[in-house]
Amino acid sequence: MKCPRCKTTAAVALPSHNAGFCPECFKVFFSRQVAKAIKERQLFSKEDKILIALSGGKDSLALARELQLQGYNTAGLHMDLAIPGSSDKARDHVERFCRDFGVDLHVLEMEKEGLPIPVVEKKFNRPVCSLCGRIKRYYFNKFALDHGFNVLATGHNLDDEAARLFSNVMRWDVSHLGSQGPDLPAEQGFVRKVKPLYRLSEFETANYSFLAGIDYCYSPCPYSKGASFTYYKTLLDELEYEQPGRKISFYEGFLNRGRQAFARQDEQQGGKPRPCPGCGYPTTGEICGICRIREIMGSKE
Amino acid sequence: MQILIEPENQWADIDRASTVLNLLKKLELRPNQAVVIRNGELLTPDRKIDPEDSIVVRKIASRG
Ligand code: SF4
Ligand SMILES: [Zn+2]
Ligand SMILES: [Zn+2]
Repeated sequence: MKCPRCKTTAAVALPSHNAGFCPECFKVFFSRQVAKAIKERQLFSKEDKILIALSGGKDSLALARELQLQGYNTAGLHMDLAIPGSSDKARDHVERFCRDFGVDLHVLEMEKEGLPIPVVEKKFNRPVCSLCGRIKRYYFNKFALDHGFNVLATGHNLDDEAARLFSNVMRWDVSHLGSQGPDLPAEQGFVRKVKPLYRLSEFETANYSFLAGIDYCYSPCPYSKGASFTYYKTLLDELEYEQPGRKISFYEGFLNRGRQAFARQDEQQGGKPRPCPGCGYPTTGEICGICRIREIMGSKE
Repeated sequence: MQILIEPENQWADIDRASTVLNLLKKLELRPNQAVVIRNGELLTPDRKIDPEDSIVVRKIASRG
């Protein structure tokens, strides 16, 4: 297989684009997809201060590298979840990446915040991933607001987004369908949230990271067995294999033609969030999810 | 043919895979579920491989 642009041996085959690119042309392709996402969805501009959530995996590091190359004003935030045998490794990859590529890095330690994930896991009788996800969203948002960032960027890719959409559709979860997308505007108490890699598959971000010389962390979190969407991702992989291009058309079709209807319905039904009396975070409950977790963490068995 | 499978870091012994696509099939992987690396170079599914080659198959799934 030859690269159609420069006729050298291809390194990355992309059935959904009917092409295979050499290393240099693949990086150009990747860059253009990110630029297209930013432009089409008006994700941010050179004026914005962007905080990137860095897990240490291929997606978040690829995102940080690409936004840096495109000249955006960025810094990274890593959350050390204090999971034995996993968090140390992830943090090490993030720290080395930021040192090598000259990216500003902030680290938040959940141990210090009183919410180390293994302790949360023991205390609650439910899958830890939903709690962990909630904790991460809370702190990323809070850190951005407290430190003058007006955009929070995450490395979610097309596979993540398509699987989430599929799962929301399977449950006809109107509220989540109305608020899913790569471009969530700032609201009272929430910073603007963007996913600039939404046009790129997991396969593409892995290839990009490899070609960009990024030493990413690929050992999975020990709790990831309970992580969501694994099965949906596998299903969608099969569909994509049979019908290349399906994932992006499913997701973009939703953004362009589906999302509006759900957003409208949700506006009519959903309650208005108010600031949590404990911490000020917006919530529709009496107190926010994190103050609730803290309360339970502080209580006796 | 010696194949290193990541992230498990396990060696797999696969016989008679003549192309990358063939190798992936034997590992029950779709072409977009792994990157295949030989001597620091990425290989597309159509590339021929040799019994002497040492190859890394890095599964993509960040299913977490
Ligand atoms: S797999 Fe679950 S517990 Fe582990 S980091 Fe992800 S959300 Fe948290
Ligand atoms: Zn080329
Ligand atoms: Zn609160």
